Amino acid sequence: MSDDATAAPVVPIVRAEGLTKTHHGEGTPVPAVRGVDLSVQPGEFVAVTGPSGAGKSTLLHLIGGLQRPDDGKLWLDGERVDAYREARWAVLRRRSIGVVFQFFNLVSNLTVADNVELPALLAGASPKAARDSRAELLAELGLEGRERSMPGELSGGEQQRVALARALVNHPALLLADEPAGSLDSKGTREVLRLLTRFHQRGQTIIMVTHDARMASAADRVISFFDGRIADDAQLGGGRPGPAGGVSGVLELKE
Amino acid sequence: MRLALLALLTRSPAHGYELKQDLEKLLGAAYPQPNVGQIYVTLGRLEKSGLIEGEDVEQSGRPNKRTYKLTAAGREAVLAWFEDTAEEPRVRDEFFMKLALAPQSGLADPIALINKQRRQYLNTMRDLSKLAAAEDRDNKISQLLIEGAMLHLQADLDWLERCQEELE
Amino acid sequence: MRATLRWAQADFRAHRGEALFVVLASAGVIASLLLAGALFGYAANPWQRVFNQSQGAHIWLHTRAGADTDAKALAAVDGVAALSGPYRTAATTVESRGARAGVTLRAADVEPPQTGRPLVAAGSWLARPDPGDTGTGPATGSVVLETSVARALWAEPGDTVRVTGPDGAPHLLRVSGTADAAEPRYQPGGAAGIGWVLPATLDEIARADTGQSVGLRLEDPDDTDFIVQRAVTVLGADRVAEVTKWQQARAEAGGDDRLLGTVFAVFGVGALLAAALAASGAVGARVRGQLRDIAVLKAIGFTPGQVTRGFLVQHLAFALLGVALGTTAIALLGARIPGRIGEAAAVWQDLPGHTALMIGIPGGAVLLIAASTGLSAWRAGRVPPVPVARAALPSAAPMTALGKRALGMRVPPALVLGWRAAFPRRGRTLVPVARLALPLVLITVALVAWSTLDQFRSSPAQVGLAAALTVRSEQPAGPSDAELEETLATVPDVAAVHPGAEMAALVPGQTGTITLRGLGTARQPYPSAVVEGRAVAGPDEAVAGQGLLDLLGVRVGDWVRMTVGGRPQILHLVGRTIEPESGGRVITTTLDALRERDPRLRPAFHALELRKGADPRAVSGALATAAGATLEIRETPNPADRLEPARGVIGALIAVLALIGLIELLTLIGTGVRDRGRDLLALKAIGLTPRQIGAMIVTAAGLTALVSALVGTTVGVLSGSWLVDTQGASSGIGAGIAQPPPLPVLLTVIVGAVLGAVAAAALPATRTARRRLADSLSETL
Repeated sequence: MSDDATAAPVVPIVRAEGLTKTHHGEGTPVPAVRGVDLSVQPGEFVAVTGPSGAGKSTLLHLIGGLQRPDDGKLWLDGERVDAYREARWAVLRRRSIGVVFQFFNLVSNLTVADNVELPALLAGASPKAARDSRAELLAELGLEGRERSMPGELSGGEQQRVALARALVNHPALLLADEPAGSLDSKGTREVLRLLTRFHQRGQTIIMVTHDARMASAADRVISFFDGRIADDAQLGGGRPGPAGGVSGVLELKE
Repeated sequence: MRLALLALLTRSPAHGYELKQDLEKLLGAAYPQPNVGQIYVTLGRLEKSGLIEGEDVEQSGRPNKRTYKLTAAGREAVLAWFEDTAEEPRVRDEFFMKLALAPQSGLADPIALINKQRRQYLNTMRDLSKLAAAEDRDNKISQLLIEGAMLHLQADLDWLERCQEELE
Repeated sequence: MRATLRWAQADFRAHRGEALFVVLASAGVIASLLLAGALFGYAANPWQRVFNQSQGAHIWLHTRAGADTDAKALAAVDGVAALSGPYRTAATTVESRGARAGVTLRAADVEPPQTGRPLVAAGSWLARPDPGDTGTGPATGSVVLETSVARALWAEPGDTVRVTGPDGAPHLLRVSGTADAAEPRYQPGGAAGIGWVLPATLDEIARADTGQSVGLRLEDPDDTDFIVQRAVTVLGADRVAEVTKWQQARAEAGGDDRLLGTVFAVFGVGALLAAALAASGAVGARVRGQLRDIAVLKAIGFTPGQVTRGFLVQHLAFALLGVALGTTAIALLGARIPGRIGEAAAVWQDLPGHTALMIGIPGGAVLLIAASTGLSAWRAGRVPPVPVARAALPSAAPMTALGKRALGMRVPPALVLGWRAAFPRRGRTLVPVARLALPLVLITVALVAWSTLDQFRSSPAQVGLAAALTVRSEQPAGPSDAELEETLATVPDVAAVHPGAEMAALVPGQTGTITLRGLGTARQPYPSAVVEGRAVAGPDEAVAGQGLLDLLGVRVGDWVRMTVGGRPQILHLVGRTIEPESGGRVITTTLDALRERDPRLRPAFHALELRKGADPRAVSGALATAAGATLEIRETPNPADRLEPARGVIGALIAVLALIGLIELLTLIGTGVRDRGRDLLALKAIGLTPRQIGAMIVTAAGLTALVSALVGTTVGVLSGSWLVDTQGASSGIGAGIAQPPPLPVLLTVIVGAVLGAVAAAALPATRTARRRLADSLSETL
């Protein structure tokens, strides 16, 4: 695509150096993220796995500006953001970052349509433009006809799909997903996975926290997070190729 | 494979090549391509044990096709096989042995071992996902097979996590 | 901006009922406060009210008998808008039931005059007598008396009074009515009162000796002095006997606006603060119920400022709407309210301070509500943008052994769990109880004030008004002291007769005068209302009011020296009394002690103690018949008359506070219901039936209300008594007048609060208990 010799280095969408965050709850303080260095290129699909309590969600929150790091530096698309105040982060999130959580993605008072249009309106789109984007996205996610429903009337899977629509309505540069299928059954998980893969194929950069290996394996890159630190950073798709036409050792029929 | 062939023969007699095709169709791509020779050898052993009965059929211009039929003993064996329950789960002995012995031998780092194995599992999982996508949606057997494999992999990965937690 | 509006709109649609309630509640609070202000204005400016309603005259000129007033010339004076009169007048003495008063009768027409029109308070105005009715019956004419004179004479419409004209001949007139006039009031021993008669009647009573009175209504009240000069010049200075100005009349009419003002200000500000607190509580509760939504909004990209603004705009808008609604309702419809409140509202517009209160109260309310709402909205803006998996519920203390045993003993689980719900860990219990207790404290303080005022009417002996009547006999024509006392004692309903004398005394340093009073004898001492120390027991002992103690800087137990009529008098202060007269600067001892200094001292008056339940009017009539026409009987002035209007103000403020208490209660219940809703699943799993769950919620609300009411009434009684006593001490009457409300009233308040809480909790409780499990699942997470 580009000349190797004279191509400008691609600016990573996310670059973190020494990110640190400690939770001060009741009792002893818990170091959730300890000196994490990270770099994510545009168009990458990164999965962060690890045992619960390891700090994966905190890392995601730090990247999305939902929590302030105690220490360290963070660049988003070349812009130094770790010292931003909450209001400035909010403005940044509107246009550039979409966030999907495990639960409670939707404002309970607003209809599905309002929930999806809200970020568009925040970013300054006209009500008509917001409506169009919303219609397009809901159709793509298979949710036509549910515009007027309240979040309480939807199933878990439908809620997560609406949440995805809401996160993507502004075509953000970065999508952060924290256990997006964590509260869903296997059918819901498959749906979410399919949608994420589809958007990734269109070029969306995704950072996803998950403990589901199937979801993690859909990513290009899997980061193992242990005890606040990155234990392993693996590119998938390499490694030993399986035997032609089948998978070795999957099934062993006894003689 | 023995009992699978016996079970296939309960429906109607068949010859070796037919049985190979049946197996392929049933299990789909997840099952490694059955070796024809392996099948014939197995069939021979089964006949010797008296569980099936073979009969030669004349064919013009080709060697005789041997058709097999299930005997009463064979039928019993299949019934007994269905009655039996599966054994306890397997544990990947070899990997665990490596992990247990690494610190002692000083030749390998346990964490590096775990990471390598995890990468392998993840790649396997990825391939399984691709397989599931490529496979016919309606072939429930095949899909279930793949899903079973994935669930095992998930369990293995979870176990890896536990190992890493404990050994850190 | 659009996004904030969209969210605010949706929020409103989801909470329509609450919004309506906020609007109505703020309207109600503002309306009640404004009505209280109207009542206050009405009560604090009695003269102004009458003046405005009667088109009063700013200046009254009274000319001597025989003089003629040139009305046209007066009307031509620059600055005079209208004339009242001139009326022919005659100076008379009016007697009724033994009371006597000097009254100037004015000849007035059947039609009351336009300017300076007397406002008929009772009965009717003068009527032309039937042509065929001449000479029949004892009373030949009718008279309308001004209210202060009528009160002094105990005259009511329909009574017959005896009028003695300048020539000394008595006439009997029928009182057809009493009226208010914006002129200086009648005081016994002071200026003459006013009465109106038909010209024919006046001719009968005082044919020749008539003077004239004319009232001038000015365009600019500030020109009074200047125009008085001009008018006197016009009339001729030698002819003018007396000039009264409107400032005099206003000063004399008084109106204890200082006390009323204090009452109104204290309670009004207290009510506003309580309202602001309730508002912030309601908004805060809403915010706490929406923590997750706010976090999601922030994650989407709402700045903290936008969140704060969204909340502020919503709640402030409703509060403003309510305030505007309440203010316009009172401004437009206030006059239509029946009774005194409507009257007060109608007249209020012309009274001073109307604009100030009309702007000040709503303005102050809006500012306070904005401040408190702003605080809650700001806190909403600080919610972290991370939606937590489980909304942070502070941990409660584990079930106590007592609770466990109670459950074991088959105490209804609803009761035990309700108790625990009402009183979790100590800190968390304190806040809702305190919030609910505040309006109750204020209500109880108001009730203390009310019952203190009540005391002046119901047990005057406790506030230093033991003697309802005082009798003075004319000297030297009257009977001797002993005879008089005997005669007085024979009248039924008279319980005791105390001779008394009052004189002015100079304090040491000649810096001021105090009143030295000798009442009762050593044999039959006067029952003073002693609140500190003891009553007078021996010679040279005295009790004094707070005003005197403050003035001289002495305490009970000290010796006081004063100069009376040039001679010194030394007394030992043994007690402090409640002294409603003369600002409390009175020292009371026995008549014997005074006689020691001056053996020739005769009692100037006799104070009559009446039997409980006796009517002073009837007794006065009986006295008059028993003792003849030589007695002058007066009713002891009761401060309760001045303070009567304060009760209306207090009543209105109690209504405001009750409304505020209701708001706090509903907020409390809403929070409780929401918190319990989360536990719904767990409770159902334990095995509680929906009815038990509902009962639990209701019990929790009731218990909280009970504790708040107990705390509130206790604190209220204590602080109210302290406040009233402090006010009493500073005004000179003396501390000790505070009367806590009777126990049944307090119990009613407590029971009312609990019942109100139970009633308000009943509906939400049943609704929560019946919620399907499926609905609550999404909320438990």
